[in-house]
Amino acid sequence: MYLQHLSLKNFRNYLRLELSLSAGITVLQGDNAQGKTNLLEAIVFLATSKSLRAHSDRELIHWLAHEREAIPFAEVSGEIQHNGDVTRLRLVLTQQQRANAQPSIRKTVAINGVRKRVLDLLGILPVVIFMPEDVLLIAGSPSLRRRYLNILLCQIDREYCRHLEAYNKVLVRRNAQLRDLQGRQPDPHLLAYWDEALINHGAYLLHKRQAVLSRLDELARAHHTTLAPQQGRLRVVYRPALPIENTPAAEAHQLSLPLPQELAHPPHPVWSVEQWRALFTTALENARKEELSAGVTLLGPHRDDVMFLLDGQDVRLYGSRGQQRTVALALKLAEVQVITEALNTSPILLLDDVMSELDAQRRHRVLDLVAQVPQAILTTTDWADFTPEFLAQAQCLEVHDGVLRPVTPV
Amino acid sequence: MSDARRDPIERLIEALMRLPGIGPKTAARLAYYLLRAPEDVTSELVAALQELRVRVRYCRRCFNVSDGDLCAICADPERDPHTICVVEEPLDVVALERSGVYRGLYHVLHGVINPLENVGPEDLRLQELVERVRQGEVQEVILATNPTMEGEATAMYIARLLQPHGVRLTRLAHGLPVGGDLEYADQHTLARALEGRRPLHVR
Repeated sequence: MYLQHLSLKNFRNYLRLELSLSAGITVLQGDNAQGKTNLLEAIVFLATSKSLRAHSDRELIHWLAHEREAIPFAEVSGEIQHNGDVTRLRLVLTQQQRANAQPSIRKTVAINGVRKRVLDLLGILPVVIFMPEDVLLIAGSPSLRRRYLNILLCQIDREYCRHLEAYNKVLVRRNAQLRDLQGRQPDPHLLAYWDEALINHGAYLLHKRQAVLSRLDELARAHHTTLAPQQGRLRVVYRPALPIENTPAAEAHQLSLPLPQELAHPPHPVWSVEQWRALFTTALENARKEELSAGVTLLGPHRDDVMFLLDGQDVRLYGSRGQQRTVALALKLAEVQVITEALNTSPILLLDDVMSELDAQRRHRVLDLVAQVPQAILTTTDWADFTPEFLAQAQCLEVHDGVLRPVTPV
Repeated sequence: MSDARRDPIERLIEALMRLPGIGPKTAARLAYYLLRAPEDVTSELVAALQELRVRVRYCRRCFNVSDGDLCAICADPERDPHTICVVEEPLDVVALERSGVYRGLYHVLHGVINPLENVGPEDLRLQELVERVRQGEVQEVILATNPTMEGEATAMYIARLLQPHGVRLTRLAHGLPVGGDLEYADQHTLARALEGRRPLHVR
């Protein structure tokens, strides 16, 4: 499976782009701020309907479109070649003018020319993007790790995406209800439905997150051992925001202690949706008083986190930047495998200027993987990041101010 | 600025925009239509609106719209007083009546519990419903709120409220539209229809 054509209208700094891509390797060279990342972002957007960096989808629309177009819009479309069949995806953002309100952005999706739901887009064009910001998955805030898990799981499981959407809707309403009840004589029946809905959707999220993390744990550990054999044994540990008994990691982490027990214990078995449901139910019951006084939902997957340990030490707190980078790379390499296993097809690899920060051995490792997948698109500021032999087998493009042209690097 | 000093067209457009389902364009079209329309169109509209507030009242038992103390349904001795169907809005009564199948009485809540809009149980006709059930004649309460999150939350709230009173509580079935085609049903509806399947009795 590969993306054979990409076309952009008013997306970021591309007013118009028609780009034919070949299977195999494509290298995109350009100075900073010319549109390398924007091109990869467009592909991720088409694959996941989520933007990589924007805080609002409005930012994805070229600023000139706000002046020039009757209705400001941005469009990303692509043709996917899969065993001789071509699937055409189209994702359009239009800005809606509303009376007395901020303009809103509407997303519309078409698959082979037929209007579909955004949900139907997911998983058709699986992608994994490697970028320098990946280190934030280890070093950044928990919300980045939750977002990472959500995007990964949505690509491989639509049911997850449906539950996630519903969970978020329930959460907003449950919080409003709790806030409303704050400091009043609580009416026990008022929360019943919101509790049940939160638990139903939440249990599925918890189960899937635990399952995918247990697989990522295994795979990332193997990659990490190859990448950095002397840096210790990697563990990827799910930290759901629920009180779980029999997890020494939980309490030890709160005391910031190293976790020697954790090394002796095998990973936690993956619990079923039913088991999570029971656990979540009890936890909510026990937290009732606290939640009523806080006026907000204190437990559940919206507060989850993931912990990365090297020989029991928390990499986020104690790891060097270099160690964090290596762990992030191992995680992304594991992600490629997880998607391949789930969808039975390799994802397209997008590498945003990652060569420059890797040492020779890791570069080699990444390029090995690049050579194995059906399609990889790499960006760089400097052709010298690659060997002439590597470039000889690649489609080479140069980007300048939102315009692409094919080149033969010297 | 006082209303009298505002541009009258602007004022009408804004008044119309407060109605459900009417955006700025429709409001402007209606306003300019009314400006040019024959006198009797506007005077009839004004009279109808005024009469609406004066003449229409709510039934003291079920809170459906009514022109008397009791609505036509509550006053009908043929209706079964042992069953109450709880709906969100008077329009839902109209829809259910069109089905011609239901022979019991209604109870109109005038809304749903909606935490985002700050609508709580005290804003609905809920105490009145409990009171009707407490009087003992009712055997079954059908919860016919909409299958939205807010509708489901309200249905569950009412169910828990009425449970101690020992009435039979039922919820309208979710599922396939009659005359519909399986392949066109969305997965959610299909899943609900499967959950709510019933045994087929062969006589």
